[in-house]
Amino acid sequence: MSLAEAPAAEVWAAPARATARLLRSELRLVFGRVRNIVLLAGLAAVPLLIGTVLFITQDTPVAGQGPPFLDRVTGNGVFLVFAALVSCLPFLLPLCVSIVSGDAVAGEAGAGTLRYLLVVPVPRTRLLLVKAVAALAYAGVAVAAIAVVGLVAGAAFFGVGDVVLLSGDTIPLAEGMLRTLGVVAYVIASLTGLVAVGLFLSTLTEVPVAAMASTVVVAIVSGVLDALPQLSAIHPGLLTHHWLDFGEFLRLEVDGSTLLAGLAVQAAWVAVFGALAWSRFTTADVSS
Amino acid sequence: MNTTRTLSPRARWAVPAVVAGAVAAAFAIPAAVGAVASDDLPAVTADELVDRVANAEPVPVSGTVVYTARLGLPDVTVSELQGAGPLDLLGGSSTMRVWSDGEDSSRAALLGDVSEYSVVRSGAEAWTYSSADDEAVHYVLEPADQERYDELAQRALEPEVEGDVPAPSELADLALAQARISTDVEATDPVEVAGRAAYQVELTPQTDATLVDRIRVAVDAETWVPLRTQVWSVQDAEAPALEVGFTDVSFDAPDAGVFEFSAPAGAEVREVVVPLPEPGTTGRPSSSALGGDGDGDVAVSGTGWETVVEVSEVDVEAILGATAEGRLPEGSTGSSGADDLFEELTEAEEGELPGIPELDTRALYEQLTTPVDGGRLLSSALLSVLVTDDGRVLAGSVPPAVLEELAG
Amino acid sequence: MTAGVPAAPPAVRTGGLTKRFRSGQVGVDAIDLHVPRGAVYGFLGPNGSGKTTTIRMLLGLVSPTAGSVELLGAPMPQAGPAVLPRVGALVEGPAFHPYLSGEANLRRLDAADATASPASRAGRVGAALERVGLTAAAGKKYRQYSLGMKQRLGLAAALLRPRDLLLLDEPTNGLDPQGTREVRALVRELADGGATVLVSSHLLSEIEQVCSHVGIMSRGKLLAQGPRAEIAGSGTTEVRVATRPDQRDHVVRVLAGLGLADVRVDGEVVAAPLGSVAVEKVAQAVVGDGVDLLGLEVRRPTLEDVFVRLTGEGFDVAR
Repeated sequence: MSLAEAPAAEVWAAPARATARLLRSELRLVFGRVRNIVLLAGLAAVPLLIGTVLFITQDTPVAGQGPPFLDRVTGNGVFLVFAALVSCLPFLLPLCVSIVSGDAVAGEAGAGTLRYLLVVPVPRTRLLLVKAVAALAYAGVAVAAIAVVGLVAGAAFFGVGDVVLLSGDTIPLAEGMLRTLGVVAYVIASLTGLVAVGLFLSTLTEVPVAAMASTVVVAIVSGVLDALPQLSAIHPGLLTHHWLDFGEFLRLEVDGSTLLAGLAVQAAWVAVFGALAWSRFTTADVSS
Repeated sequence: MNTTRTLSPRARWAVPAVVAGAVAAAFAIPAAVGAVASDDLPAVTADELVDRVANAEPVPVSGTVVYTARLGLPDVTVSELQGAGPLDLLGGSSTMRVWSDGEDSSRAALLGDVSEYSVVRSGAEAWTYSSADDEAVHYVLEPADQERYDELAQRALEPEVEGDVPAPSELADLALAQARISTDVEATDPVEVAGRAAYQVELTPQTDATLVDRIRVAVDAETWVPLRTQVWSVQDAEAPALEVGFTDVSFDAPDAGVFEFSAPAGAEVREVVVPLPEPGTTGRPSSSALGGDGDGDVAVSGTGWETVVEVSEVDVEAILGATAEGRLPEGSTGSSGADDLFEELTEAEEGELPGIPELDTRALYEQLTTPVDGGRLLSSALLSVLVTDDGRVLAGSVPPAVLEELAG
Repeated sequence: MTAGVPAAPPAVRTGGLTKRFRSGQVGVDAIDLHVPRGAVYGFLGPNGSGKTTTIRMLLGLVSPTAGSVELLGAPMPQAGPAVLPRVGALVEGPAFHPYLSGEANLRRLDAADATASPASRAGRVGAALERVGLTAAAGKKYRQYSLGMKQRLGLAAALLRPRDLLLLDEPTNGLDPQGTREVRALVRELADGGATVLVSSHLLSEIEQVCSHVGIMSRGKLLAQGPRAEIAGSGTTEVRVATRPDQRDHVVRVLAGLGLADVRVDGEVVAAPLGSVAVEKVAQAVVGDGVDLLGLEVRRPTLEDVFVRLTGEGFDVAR
């Protein structure tokens, strides 16, 4: 090791490339972690479980009861995707997303690895961005896993066919697949606000469990408030209010403005809590 | 990169504040802009306005309608459990999507979270479809009526559908039809509804003996299609008790495919043959329609806003216990806004409720009504219904005491 | 370095560096660190004296309440992105992802470095592991590492790149005597390679032998700093002569004859402050006088002696 070679040997990567490099590492970290894989497997098991139960009970009197889409599954496996998403949206998906996004910064702070990343150095803004993208990627993979397993299990158990929309009209399977893609994309987009909230809470503490739990609580409280008719004035702005608007993809004419309204609300949450997370993270003392 | 750490902490904390402000502005400004009245419209008198609406050429219309009811009824919200159905209209806010070709085809879809209740009319036939229980009901005319329908030049008549959802113009048309009967009509400042410039007319009953305080109708300045109707009850001068209006409207002809409906594979289908109402008798309901034995009388007392309809020999127990086919035909109360309301509310008392067959009708009846001397009373902000123990049903947009007095 | 070229700025310089915590407690109180290039700087002080907070401020992890920091001549934290790649650090013990292997942890840190080419990552990681003797345990999960192995991995992370400056906070924590010796050897090797090393420790004896400079912290204040000899020189060096018991008085006389003052018999040896007398003179005089010389020791003053003198209390007293 000589003094002379050290600075001269430095070749700076463009910020974009450096960010991409860090993101690859972060994705490997998030998707390589056993806990996160188990959570994914658990989510993916939901459509499998629903499919199995429906398959066994399809000729019994209890068939056709339950949450939306459940009664359609036995007729068309595609609906297993929607039934599974509806089942996971109120709790399981927010839980998994909260765990990963709440862990994002607090986990590194709690383990002490945050200080070593920062002295590498990784600019704090870049680190936060990478953490956000990785948490969002996890949310995306979680939703996609439910959808893919749901589709495969649905096809295996019940076969697939033309899709009957909520309006009672029937569309060809190919268009049904396209709309299913739309549903998946919308559900993923619906989780971005929660990711931003989780990320912000994650910057507030060195105890990852605290960040995860409070993120889950935010999602649940939002759901509770959404159910109180007295608060209808604030409903449209709630984090979870538009989550089930993915049903729009299953109407006769998909109304873009309904979908945009939901996306705009998510964008607002992302903007506000993303900015809060940034302010907090770039000013906080790292003393863990 | 080197500059990222040079902002002071205070400056950094200003960022989320600015972002929050920008977000609030982004959501508030379009709403504020939308509320700006359109002042450029040529002045129109109230009478002209009513005439223009009555004589307007039917045009195709489609869009999104928001229906809000604050009727003061007990909460019977079931759509979260059961999916969207007409019962949603008893309270709270519902969103509908409507399509009409301006002639004899129309479609209305009442939207639930991941459910939908549709009413599709195409000429003489009609369908209702509820996604929640995958049930379709197909309404067709008797062959004789079908012939008569085909001969009708003006297809003003249409088969009646159980569990209909209100079209936004229906309520307005009913209200405006009453405009010159014991009503003060006044044109108010133009407004913007669903991005369209609209004239507005306010109807105020001259009598105090009705629950309706005033009705305001906004009419598109170009097509003369009513875009919004608001009904205020005497009980609340601030918020309308009933409001139906477009939030998004288009006057382009909808795709013809919208009106083509056939029951989806696997759905439960019920065929219902309905009579075509006689052109001259639409205002004369029969008691058989209410599940009576057919000999019952329909008496109308009062006029205009004070009209009370009394149907006797109604077998309430039978209605509650089993499926009832009947309902009050439109226009039976002879009163403006009350008609539609009556339609919605009486559904709650009918037997099989479209979209919510599992719901216990009797429980609902008991939830919505309160026992009074000699019967049960449904009292809402705009409509009172009294069901007497001796089998009479009295209804009207009048205070409950009026009904009780009439019932004796 | 030819005359006329300005001397390189110090590796670490702080001016009035202060950290007041939100609780109001002053963790670091207006210290002016000065670590010359090429020095091995022993940053000494008991636990809780403010060493770690100072190092965090040097690295930009904690923002100072007041004062300035320069690393390798560049102001921190503004110049962090440019200067930190040349700085290796071990802060308050090693910290890695427990469920990743040692190697995977180093790869992650290397991937985070914008100045490190991914193509040569494997080489860097392998070399760093080898340097701290962890090659054999490279694939093992970090959580299965012993305390000593964890410490070594921390050092390996600090040595991933060629560094101009190393800030090593308590590098011997948790190490056995053998490990401690290895760290000392490593520090010496780094210094020989031209790097500046700042080593903090609450155990004076472990590192004072390798230091060229020392700074002494107590209760958030920097009590003294400078070349080790200067600091230690403020104490007294003793010469201690071991001989047979019957010759001790003889030795006392010889030493007094050399002009040494305060000659005394201390147990089995004769001791006296050396003063300005060269130690070889003492040896010649003793042997020349026919004494059977069994042992001769020069005992230099320890930094602990200096610390006790500066603070009036023992070094290991916690705040």
